[in-house]
Amino acid sequence: MHMATTPAIEPIVHLSNVDKDYKLGAVTVSALKQVSLEIAPGEFTVIAGPSGSGKTTLLNLIGCVDVATRGEVIVAGQDTGKLSEGDLTRLRLNALGFIFQSFNLVGVLDAFQNVEFPLLLQKKMNAAQRKERVMDLLNRVGIAEYAHHRPGELSGGQRQRVAIARALVTFPRIVLADEPTANLDSVTGNQILDLMQELNREGTTFLFSTHDPHVVSRAGRVVRLVDGRIVTEPEQQSPMSHT
Amino acid sequence: MNTLLLIAARNLARNRKRTLLLGGAIAVVTVLLVLLTSLFNGTQASMLRNATTLSTGHVNVAGFYKITSGTAAPVVTEYAKLRALVEKETPGLQSLVIRGRGFGKLVSDASSQIAVVSGIDIAQEANFKNILEIVHGDVNRLSEPHSILIFEATAERLELKIGDNVTLSSQTYRGSNNSIDCKVVAIAKPLGMFSSFFAYVPLQTLRELYGLDQTTAGGIQLYLKDWEQAEQVAAKLRIALDKSGYRVMDHMDLPYWRKFDIVKREDWTGQKIDVTTWMDEDPFMKWTLFGFRALIVIIFMVLLAIIIIGVMNTLWMAIRERTREVGALRAIGMQRHTVMAMFVTEGALLALASSTIGVILGVAAAFALNAAHLKMIKGFQMVLMSETVTLLVNVPTVLISLLVIASVTTLGSILPAWRAARLQPVEAMHSSN
Repeated sequence: MHMATTPAIEPIVHLSNVDKDYKLGAVTVSALKQVSLEIAPGEFTVIAGPSGSGKTTLLNLIGCVDVATRGEVIVAGQDTGKLSEGDLTRLRLNALGFIFQSFNLVGVLDAFQNVEFPLLLQKKMNAAQRKERVMDLLNRVGIAEYAHHRPGELSGGQRQRVAIARALVTFPRIVLADEPTANLDSVTGNQILDLMQELNREGTTFLFSTHDPHVVSRAGRVVRLVDGRIVTEPEQQSPMSHT
Repeated sequence: MNTLLLIAARNLARNRKRTLLLGGAIAVVTVLLVLLTSLFNGTQASMLRNATTLSTGHVNVAGFYKITSGTAAPVVTEYAKLRALVEKETPGLQSLVIRGRGFGKLVSDASSQIAVVSGIDIAQEANFKNILEIVHGDVNRLSEPHSILIFEATAERLELKIGDNVTLSSQTYRGSNNSIDCKVVAIAKPLGMFSSFFAYVPLQTLRELYGLDQTTAGGIQLYLKDWEQAEQVAAKLRIALDKSGYRVMDHMDLPYWRKFDIVKREDWTGQKIDVTTWMDEDPFMKWTLFGFRALIVIIFMVLLAIIIIGVMNTLWMAIRERTREVGALRAIGMQRHTVMAMFVTEGALLALASSTIGVILGVAAAFALNAAHLKMIKGFQMVLMSETVTLLVNVPTVLISLLVIASVTTLGSILPAWRAARLQPVEAMHSSN
């Protein structure tokens, strides 16, 4: 068992002896085995591993869109195994940000509306506050001029920037990204990584999966998964130590 | 939530072909419903206006007089006193007419036939003159003693023309046979299935036939401001008459001319009052309207079922296409009920927009058809008591139609929306759709 810790700082994510099994007919497949992990605020961590190693499953558990078969998953101080469906959804809305490989923007909303959407679900800000927050973020990710373009009118890189802005808009404790550069060319992918690193330097915690060695090389911390187990963590670094 | 509405509207616009197809179908169903209900309203108004002028009021206060237990005359004695009471006790009374009631035989040189004979005071019967289409003679001549108005079918069967005499024969209230000769002064166009059995004579002539004095009448036909209140008013009048000392007959769902044999068999003598409605006096019209209404309901249900299946299928397709989007929205924190609301909003928006367009087109089509004065098929003319197709657009009915179609089609979106809300985010996000 490998336990990744960041001493003296309360972790955002804490996994302890987590198993995840899937039933495929009569066969039970173990996607994760005895995984223990902690993610501290400010980290820029990559979950690396070959296809089928359990990267996405691990992200799903941390992202509260799936629950562990055994073990403890604590996200933002809450034991996800004990939360109802509604509470898990609220936790995702208020504490987590998601960036997807295929961007997964709402095709009929423009960039501004896509970024604003989580704020509407939260119902915490008035229209003026939402506008200010959304435009700040669109400026920050460099696509303010495309605020009223729909996803279909944007390039892959621009869409992913919108997705990043959407992930950040609710001030999440951690942003989870599943292979965020997989659908982008190398130049655009690098630009997105640059942006994510800049945001990390400004204080946003990132946890993302990849099997691209180049992306792995940009990470502050690498958690390697093979066949559902964490096999090694060569560099144990403090938050933002990659900077 | 405005954003859900925006998502719904833009998704409908994005799938233009599918939206137009289904929206068009909903609009067509709405148009059909508006036309059918307007046709029903028009027919009902026309039938009711004609029937309640020819043979019945909305409510009738009449009765039978039995001089012996084996006889029955459709007569009310001292009708003036009864009229005063009825005028006082009838809520929403608009007008009334006094009619004589008879049932006898018309005999000409060529043939004979059974007839339901009404005695009328033509000077008091403005509606009667307006509704009948006189093809020969002059309806005003019914003011002349021993005159008679018959319909074309009777004139043809008995080979009568204006100026001819026809013998009206019946049994007096004392049980003896009596007959009088009447001169044909007017021949009218048919008005409904049973018009060929109706004939009209002056009220005084009918009194002579039955050997009655001036204080008697066949009954009082009451016209209400709201004809739909007829049954409640009839029930109230039965109670009021009973309290005032009149003997009131038990309610029978039959026209008076079908009660003769029943009343003759009853073991009582003297006067009894019978309070009936237009539905009792014209059961044919009642059942015609009931059948028409039932037909509309069946057609509507079938069309609605088709539309609901269409809405469900369309939303199934939309949900399949947008499964990943649903997964992503669930992941970023959209609750299940909001996912459901998102798809129900889409269904509701489509239903409301389409049915509103359908109502507008339906109302326009109804006005256009009225303006065209379309002739009704001959057979229907007799049944529906009208020569032309008349559509009556009733605003509450139209609004109810709109509400029913929009609501029911929206309901059709609930099951697919619920299924979408039940999608697990992790499975939805990785869906191949």
